[in-house]
Amino acid sequence: MDGNREYTPNLLINRAVVPIGSVGAYKAGHGNATGHHGEIIQGAMRNQDRIIHRFLVTLPCNELYTQARFEPSLQLAGHIIVPDDKAKSRMAIEITLKYLNRSDFGGQLHLRSNIEKGFGMGSSTTDVVATIRAVADAFGRPLLPEIVAHLAVAAETASDAIMFEDNCVMFAQRRGVVLEYLGSGLPPLHVLSINTARDAPLDTVATPAARYSDWELQSFCALSGMIRRAIRTGDPYLLGRVATASATISQRHIPKPAFEEIQVIARANDACGVQVSHSGTVVGLLFNAFCPNLNVMVESASKDLSSIGMAPDFRFSTLHRRHEYAS
Amino acid sequence: MLHDHTTFVDYELPRLTPLAPNLVGASFFLMKLLPARFMLDQAERSGKLKPGGRICETTSGTFGLALAMLSAVRGYHLTLVSDNALDSTLQYRLCDLGAHLEIVERPGATGGFQQARLDRVNDYLAQYPDAFCPRQYENPDNPRAYASVAELITERLGNIDTLIGTVGSGGSMSGLARMLRLSNPDLKVIGIDTPASVVFGQKDGPRALRGLGNSLMPKNVDHCQFDEVHWVTAAEAYQATRELHRTHALFQGGTSGAAFMVARWWAAHKPEQKSVVIFPDEGNRYTSTIYNDTYLQAMEGWSDRLLEAPLTVTDPSCHIYRWSRHNWNRRSLGGEPHV
Ligand SMILES: Cc1ncc(COP(=O)(O)O)c(C=O)c1O
Repeated sequence: MDGNREYTPNLLINRAVVPIGSVGAYKAGHGNATGHHGEIIQGAMRNQDRIIHRFLVTLPCNELYTQARFEPSLQLAGHIIVPDDKAKSRMAIEITLKYLNRSDFGGQLHLRSNIEKGFGMGSSTTDVVATIRAVADAFGRPLLPEIVAHLAVAAETASDAIMFEDNCVMFAQRRGVVLEYLGSGLPPLHVLSINTARDAPLDTVATPAARYSDWELQSFCALSGMIRRAIRTGDPYLLGRVATASATISQRHIPKPAFEEIQVIARANDACGVQVSHSGTVVGLLFNAFCPNLNVMVESASKDLSSIGMAPDFRFSTLHRRHEYAS
Repeated sequence: MLHDHTTFVDYELPRLTPLAPNLVGASFFLMKLLPARFMLDQAERSGKLKPGGRICETTSGTFGLALAMLSAVRGYHLTLVSDNALDSTLQYRLCDLGAHLEIVERPGATGGFQQARLDRVNDYLAQYPDAFCPRQYENPDNPRAYASVAELITERLGNIDTLIGTVGSGGSMSGLARMLRLSNPDLKVIGIDTPASVVFGQKDGPRALRGLGNSLMPKNVDHCQFDEVHWVTAAEAYQATRELHRTHALFQGGTSGAAFMVARWWAAHKPEQKSVVIFPDEGNRYTSTIYNDTYLQAMEGWSDRLLEAPLTVTDPSCHIYRWSRHNWNRRSLGGEPHV
């Protein structure tokens, strides 16, 4: 991928606008972020100007979350206190304070998360996003997801697209920009989660970015058509095809153990497809959440997976959030 | 120099037309624009093609036209090596676009005109070592170019069951098959060739139907992608081209007719399968031939009736005189079928 023009994001970070009347007001701020279960697709493709964009479409998982609380303090002025191993959150606070024109503040951050590190479920990005939201909340300045995305990438180099919540976006994870808005929610999926390497978490930051071949770059372009349609029409089967294709390409870069066997089990149990965390260890069997015999299928698949030593950890649904709203 | 790389975006992609409840035609104005553009893009990127540089290629058909269009817009010196098969309409157009034409008069000792043309290209490249030769028959950027077509098909139609199209360099069908199979490994792929073409095992000989088939084996044909192969004669293809125009108002070239004949038969026999058929170029180039009744009636093997179904052959090297089919079974050339 040498000799290609670089894309320079139009960073909004230094263009802070302080609303009149709110100058000076602040309080302890809260922010939440939901985790994810890897990606439906992750790859890179050339746009019409032939620039290569790395991109991903995240599979959000509402069972996973991080909560942040930020206590701003003028006394601490420039001094920021974060939990031990949370250097990225410190960075996120500095960048967000700067964006809000409040760099004269310091403060203390508290984080609570149920996401384990190293399996590719967004532990780092949820920390960063929850932190950014907590800081913004402290000054009464809710931020658009697009702004959160810019700030998050500035803080941690590459981010998952979880700041967009249930909105599906094709997200350039190293540039913090949306390449394409795909729709307002994934098709109705029920996901059976397998951790293929519980004993071997990955250092996702140290993992080098995949170098895609020319064939792969073109293949992602071909797949982009199918994901657009899958989301537009809410078709879990079509989405499953895209996920399986992207997971298959990913095997050449960050292979998952027992991937072939898992695929066979997915087909045997009428799953829509197999989805992976492209820079992690988790694999998901995707089912149509509206399938009348869903439970039978999922139970049978779980049994098959256990028999190859890949017993699933948990299950979740992309409908979860919408059910919450409805009730 | 920076070009506007979006110049031909709308020209490159096919229009999708339903032909039956389970069959969609993808009609290109000029399919070859897509691989030609992609090959030049890649050569520019890698530095093989410099601004204002020279391009040389052997072609007697639409690939030359595509290169000429791109060279006119992007400012390259284009030399095309061809033979007498180059019709005068196309010749005028190529000249108008500023292409330099070299016509080879005599066939080579082996490999016919195609080898003689290749020899001439190699002479040119020896003279101008900086010149870029796209080599559409072996350049892997030819099959890779078709991503945007796979994108369009899946975005508009979702998953499809069968892909049907003609094979010349093999770029379009091999590339599309490979890309579509990423999301559907069960995709059926039907390739269309013509008798006396070596691509799927016939002995080389004179062929009236141009654009598909070949005298030399193109590297870009990925034989393992094809489930089924059909051979269609020129007269059959032309008749079907007219039928495509009369019944669906699609004004396309002769290879489109060949593909249409096979696709219509397939779709009628596989009502549960969603098929897409590729129509590579439009009909203006063929007004004095395929769209001229006097010309058609004087053709060898002309019949007013279109065949309903192909003959099934088990040996692809047998003498083929009419529309025939063979279960290729995704085997490599000379290899065993996949089970
Ligand atoms: C009119 C026409 N049809 C079909 C083809 C075959 O396409 P491909 O070379 O991709 O196999 C060609 C190729 O030149 C062509 O010009």
